[in-house]
Amino acid sequence: MFKGYLCMVLHGHLPYVRHPEHEDFLEEDWFYEAITETYIPLIAMFERLSDEKVPFRMTMSVTPTLAAMLTDGLLQDRYTRHINKLIELAHKEVERTRWMPAFQRLAVMYLDLFTQARDLFERYHRNLIAAFKRFQDAGNLEIVTCGATHGYFPLMDVSKDSVRAQVRVAKDHYERLFGRKPRGLWLPECGYQPGDDALLKEAGFKYFFTDAHGVLHATPRPKYGVFAPVYCKSGVACFGRDMESSKQVWSSVEGYPGDYAYREFYRDVGFDLDFEYVQPYVHPDGIRINTGIKYYRITGPGNHKEPYDPDAAREKAAEHAGNFMFNREKQIEFLYEMLGRRPIIVSPYDAELYGHWWFEGPMWLEFLIRKLAFDQKTVRMVTPPEYLAENPKNQVVTPSMSSWGWKGYSEVWLQGSNDWIYRHLHKASRVMSDLTRQYPHAEGLKRRALNQSLRELLLAQSSDWAFIMATGTHVPYAHKRTREHLLRFFQLADEVHRDQIDEHFLREVESKDNIFADIDYRVHQ
Amino acid sequence: MKRKAKARFAKSGKAVPKHKVLQRARAVGRRVARPVKSLLKKIQQIPIQETHVAEAKFYTGPEVSSWRRPAALPVEHRELPAGYDEDILVMQVRDPWWTHVYWDLRFQTWDECRARYGADFDKAGWTLRAYDISFIKFDGTNAHRFFDTVVDVEARNWYMNLGAPGTSWCLDLGFVLPDGRFVALVRSNVVSLPLDGPSWMTDEEWMIPDDAFRRLYGMSVGLGPNVSSPVGKLWQERLKRDVSSGAVTSMVSSPVGRKGEKLPFWLVVDTELIVYGATEPDAMVSVQGRPVTLRKDGTFTLRFALPDGKQEIPVTARSAKIDETRTITPIVTRKTTRNP
Repeated sequence: MFKGYLCMVLHGHLPYVRHPEHEDFLEEDWFYEAITETYIPLIAMFERLSDEKVPFRMTMSVTPTLAAMLTDGLLQDRYTRHINKLIELAHKEVERTRWMPAFQRLAVMYLDLFTQARDLFERYHRNLIAAFKRFQDAGNLEIVTCGATHGYFPLMDVSKDSVRAQVRVAKDHYERLFGRKPRGLWLPECGYQPGDDALLKEAGFKYFFTDAHGVLHATPRPKYGVFAPVYCKSGVACFGRDMESSKQVWSSVEGYPGDYAYREFYRDVGFDLDFEYVQPYVHPDGIRINTGIKYYRITGPGNHKEPYDPDAAREKAAEHAGNFMFNREKQIEFLYEMLGRRPIIVSPYDAELYGHWWFEGPMWLEFLIRKLAFDQKTVRMVTPPEYLAENPKNQVVTPSMSSWGWKGYSEVWLQGSNDWIYRHLHKASRVMSDLTRQYPHAEGLKRRALNQSLRELLLAQSSDWAFIMATGTHVPYAHKRTREHLLRFFQLADEVHRDQIDEHFLREVESKDNIFADIDYRVHQ
Repeated sequence: MKRKAKARFAKSGKAVPKHKVLQRARAVGRRVARPVKSLLKKIQQIPIQETHVAEAKFYTGPEVSSWRRPAALPVEHRELPAGYDEDILVMQVRDPWWTHVYWDLRFQTWDECRARYGADFDKAGWTLRAYDISFIKFDGTNAHRFFDTVVDVEARNWYMNLGAPGTSWCLDLGFVLPDGRFVALVRSNVVSLPLDGPSWMTDEEWMIPDDAFRRLYGMSVGLGPNVSSPVGKLWQERLKRDVSSGAVTSMVSSPVGRKGEKLPFWLVVDTELIVYGATEPDAMVSVQGRPVTLRKDGTFTLRFALPDGKQEIPVTARSAKIDETRTITPIVTRKTTRNP
């Protein structure tokens, strides 16, 4: 008997990293790796499921920065170059491992994966947004957007104009790419500040997500905990994250991805093999980097690693999918009795967890979807709009300020390593609002300069820079991005004020920071 | 009105000497030390269980940040200014207990204060006055309570422990004159600290008994329905579990911890074998029975990972022009010993 809903949400996000000024830019690899290891495997899964007519419902955020990168010609060309080099390396690996069959089968596996990735990429004319759109249009996938550049809203509380701009730019961008209005918005880092729902309402959004305590600590108490959405006073629905199901995948202790049969993320031929041999495939400055060819399984707690066994890993993924489904059935049966209504379990994950970090993740997800479709009748997969259509009556509360970061609030993005940025970000936001007020009908060069100012401001606001400063890898890059976007912003603002716009400079930053071609600076107010 | 005059940080217990104030006014371009940074450092370093996944997204290999990458990162010589010459005080919420505050004062403000208060100004103790203004419209006098924190004005930012989840606050930055008068220079925005547990408010239409809510809460945070703690404590329990599992246990049982696992000393050795040769450019060559593509000049190179054991590698070339085939077979044995 049908007793409850499961809402699987993948949050797909990367900051805007695009450096036309460099032939080869290390941080762009984040994007190429995510394409090969996460986005393409997910699309391939959607294709198989829809070819075989397996019913499924997934919700996925594709942030505007990620969407902009996926549709950028330069990055598309560079990805093609990237995957071609990987295919070349995989060919060499197949030959090199001839006398070690346990490794050669893995080299062949990677060669197949990379070749299939390239085929799929070309099949969609290098535009993976078209692929995601296809499954949204078919009704299987609900694509939600996010803050334009993933700015963390709770730390923009004194810059509400910027929050509004983040929301509005995201909405406009989504409409152009997906040909319809977005219904849902993934708050960057799940960062909710009471009142921000009104800004979502203003832009026509119907729902968003918070971490569990956003709903649990709402005022007044939520009668159904996180197992039913709530409405904010603005009328926008808020879905709270379920911790139980999250823990099973996320947790480094109890989570599936740490299983010894699964592939080890940190052993890569980019580091393991002779330098001369891998040099053409790592960074041209001679820095060893991950290539994506990884031959070992987690094996155990120590440094000793055994070769990866794809068949054993596959069996494990099937077993874990079965375990996840069983737990959801039990959870839903229990809640159904307890609540006296059909609960919804909202399970959000970073999309890049699947495939990139947890190599077997997409496989696990596919097993789960197939099992849910054919092996049980208790749980039904659902998207938030479908749920709301079937269950329109929900409690009205004010959710609590919260995020899904460490400790549940803002400490990741507000600590000794990164607290210095807010003085500048807030100032820039005030300057932008002044400009918008002062020049409500700018045309020509001034309009271009104002539009570019807003691009620079939004790019500086990406929560990723503060996050990277806090975690300690790639810190100089995060500093550089924060500083450069702000400096470009203040330079442009100053030129607009003085009415002396340096067109040469403007053209240069327009081509470097080319995100959101159709931006209108007047949304920042 | 209750007054808590206790300073929150022992380190900030004394007034800022005059020369320091002058220094600040002149040396705007200098990055100043933040006194609370060291207090927080310990907390920041706790690995974030969920963060590791997100971090992996940005992971291109170990220790990348320590490499110098002159070609990839052209040094931009411009720096952001230290401030923007304005009177400003901004408070932001870090969590249900703590806020972060930053401020700046105009040069003109300093000059005016000095002109007005003279020597008293130089002796004045810089202070953040925090007003509890929960559920009221603050008119400057009707706060429920306030307390003062002595600060180093040069630091230009401070972490404040307000310690009262669910309350609302605003701040004045100013100084206390030797006669005890507080001179406020700039007022902050208002912040509301989030609750650190469920609300005590329930609504009639959606009423739920305490006991049922406790079970539901336990389910919602992944602790299960059979929890014994009172409702308000459950969130902390969940947090405790998170932090301990992320920081300690993960180091031994998941891929998360292994990234940082460094041995005091280690040695890794492996071998590869290069087989190369040359023949007529149009000859058919095979190695161990598999065809090999020749370069234009008739040379070829193959590279193999060489495991322990014996490898026989017959290399055969057949002429394209005459009926002749030649075979050369290197035989290679690898044996590895270890000591110790």
